[in-house]
Amino acid sequence: MEMETDALPNGNSQASAGSAASTGTNEGALAIVAVGAVSAAPPSSQMNKLAESLKLEHQFLRVPFEHYKKTIRSNHRIVEKEVSAVISGVGEAADSTDLSHDDAVQHLSSLVSRLQGLKRKLEDGSKTEHLQAQRCKARLDHLESADSENISEWNSTRLKRILVDYMLRMSFYDTASKLAQDSNIQDLVDIEVFSEAKKVIDALQNKEVTPALAWCADNKSRLKKSKSKFEFQLRLQEFIELVRSENNVRAIAYARKYLAPWGATHMKELQRVMATLAFKSNTECPTYKVLFESKQWEYLAEQFKQEFCRLYGMTLEPLLNIYLQAGLSALKTPFCYEDDCTKEDPLSQESFRKLASPLPFSKQHHSKLVCYITKELMDTENPPLVLPNGYVYSTKAIEEMAKKNNGKITCPRTGLVCNYTDLVKAYIS
Amino acid sequence: MFSHLILQRFSISRMELSTMRDAFNRVAKKQKLSTSKSQEVIDQVGHDIGQTLLNIQSDQDPASPVDQRSILAELRSKLTASSLLKQLEGSQKELNIDLSKYQKVLEKTLNADISKVYRNVEFDKHTLHQIIISHLYHEGMFDIADCLVTEAGEPEAVSLRCQFEEMHQILEAMKSKNLEPALSWVSENHARLKASGSDLELKLLKLQYMDILQKKSQQDALNYMRTYLSPFSSSHMDEIQKLMGCLLWAGKVEQSPYADLIAPSQWEKLSEELAEEFCSFLGRSLRSPLSVAVAAGIEGLPTLLKLANVMAAKKQDWQAMKHLPVPLELGEEFQFHSVFVCPVSRDQASEENPPMMLPCGHVLCKQSIHKLSKSCTRSFKCPYCPLDASVAQCRRLFF
Repeated sequence: MEMETDALPNGNSQASAGSAASTGTNEGALAIVAVGAVSAAPPSSQMNKLAESLKLEHQFLRVPFEHYKKTIRSNHRIVEKEVSAVISGVGEAADSTDLSHDDAVQHLSSLVSRLQGLKRKLEDGSKTEHLQAQRCKARLDHLESADSENISEWNSTRLKRILVDYMLRMSFYDTASKLAQDSNIQDLVDIEVFSEAKKVIDALQNKEVTPALAWCADNKSRLKKSKSKFEFQLRLQEFIELVRSENNVRAIAYARKYLAPWGATHMKELQRVMATLAFKSNTECPTYKVLFESKQWEYLAEQFKQEFCRLYGMTLEPLLNIYLQAGLSALKTPFCYEDDCTKEDPLSQESFRKLASPLPFSKQHHSKLVCYITKELMDTENPPLVLPNGYVYSTKAIEEMAKKNNGKITCPRTGLVCNYTDLVKAYIS
Repeated sequence: MFSHLILQRFSISRMELSTMRDAFNRVAKKQKLSTSKSQEVIDQVGHDIGQTLLNIQSDQDPASPVDQRSILAELRSKLTASSLLKQLEGSQKELNIDLSKYQKVLEKTLNADISKVYRNVEFDKHTLHQIIISHLYHEGMFDIADCLVTEAGEPEAVSLRCQFEEMHQILEAMKSKNLEPALSWVSENHARLKASGSDLELKLLKLQYMDILQKKSQQDALNYMRTYLSPFSSSHMDEIQKLMGCLLWAGKVEQSPYADLIAPSQWEKLSEELAEEFCSFLGRSLRSPLSVAVAAGIEGLPTLLKLANVMAAKKQDWQAMKHLPVPLELGEEFQFHSVFVCPVSRDQASEENPPMMLPCGHVLCKQSIHKLSKSCTRSFKCPYCPLDASVAQCRRLFF
């Protein structure tokens, strides 16, 4: 049963990956079953592919959810903090022995107005939560909306989403928001989430760590959980800057306060950085010279992006890169690099060939023959016909040519002219 | 039987979608509950303090500070006794359970990390940006492409703009049923179109004629026919006669047997055909290569992910392989090349090992024939039919 479902038209090779890699023998059986299924339901196969591709959309649902969760948590933290502050404020008043009547009234009134302030904050907060919940729902709606009616539009929206993701990760914010706006897909992309990252990245590019440290403090528990050392790296950089300005006393005090706690887990790096005190920023010693280079700041920005993506459940690489790698590998055959490669193949273009060069070639287990003239697949419906010179074209192409030219066939690649009756059918198994 | 299975598989996915939705709805519901709990607690505290405040204020006797202290102590014990903070914590805890449940449902239903098939090689950014920019121009998103040119610092990529600008102007005009720009483009490129065997020009002229016939008078249509279409009369007599027949239906072609000639689908078809010719003259494909490559990736990725799992279990290296070990089975629209796989040896044909046809019509690779014929020394039986063949009878094929 399992095998039959998996041999549906055009793969959807649930099992063909698993079974072929592990056993490599039941391909034949699969193929036979597949023949029966091909004519049965091609549109469903398309739907099947779509359903399978929806499984790739984890980030699409996860990111707004993380955002929502973050808002919920921080709103709750505010309420908890404020309420407990107010309650202990009452306690203080009750404990104090020399509270005058006016003081008591003033104290309580200030607590009441503090609560009023909190209430307003809670209202604003819950508005944000509501909007973010709506966004999560919009994403679920969008996934559910994919069906055979709108498949091409849905696919084109997906490509736009992938492009916006790429632009956001590359910090091309203007292009990203313009594309989102023009295509009316603001709810389907994470521009807001990335605007939080933008502040930190901009600051790091200006060699400022404060926003990055604030971000670390904001996400302390989660960073700790993932064993992130990003904060340590920021602290190291601050230390280096102190050494650079020859502020050695402050540097040491800084190291005691902020670097020492990381000693237990990152002693080597700590020692290396401490050694810079012995050198100056103009040292030629390569081990330490590199620590003073400005590309360390770029590295920090890159590091931040990684941490940021991890925290929001995004893939560490842009979606575009992941999909393009998979696609280029799937399309890459030795034929792509021949001079007569059809321009319909992306790999006919130099730029795509360049991107594909470090990627593996695809693999074929079965013959797939494409007619040189019509570019259509030659199969049992449209079988290949062989000219006397060995060149092969599809029956459709040949019949059309014969009809137009009184049964004469001209080979488009060699110029050979022959009769329709000279052709023989080839059997490809 | 098969359609039944397909539906079943597909409906599982629908079911998964609704599982995700249910899980999320629970989160949203608990979040609302938690918010109203917070509100309730704040109101409660505010109310209690407010009451106490009133009590203190109304008690104007300055000689009773003891009373004030007991009132405050009472307030404190009231606030602590109702364990308001516990209540807050409780509602948050319940919410947390549903939050992590939803996250688990997402992770279970969807591929939580599609980047595990990512090979650790970075794309050249400059090349990739060029590709994206040309995609945006190709799709007619000129402003966005311009914006990216600036942001990514790729000024030379703007040269692609004018190429596609003309195409999109023509297509936009066609959308509003204006054929003028299209007609002037085909007449400018008359020779090239003719050389490539395209009859786009005739098709556009026909459409223009029908449009005139529908919107203007019979006389206008006839004049148009004489000026522009008569040169085609010798080669396309049938079609011209049909067009003449349409004259009878001027202004009401949509009710005639010729209605399909002015159908919106006719306009769309011609737009696409024109775009294809246009792109082809630019040395490009009709579909943007970026969207083709990404679409191929989306189709191939599910299989790749399964493969990555299998390979990880066998401790095989994903990063180094030169060939994928299994086929990805893309749809027909991604099949750009003929690949012949020998049914005997399972090798892919190549220049050194080309496909050969036996006299019976079955096709094998040269090396397989070499083996079957014991190094070309004797005749052999075709493995697929019992017909005898000799090496001399086998012919090389070119796909």
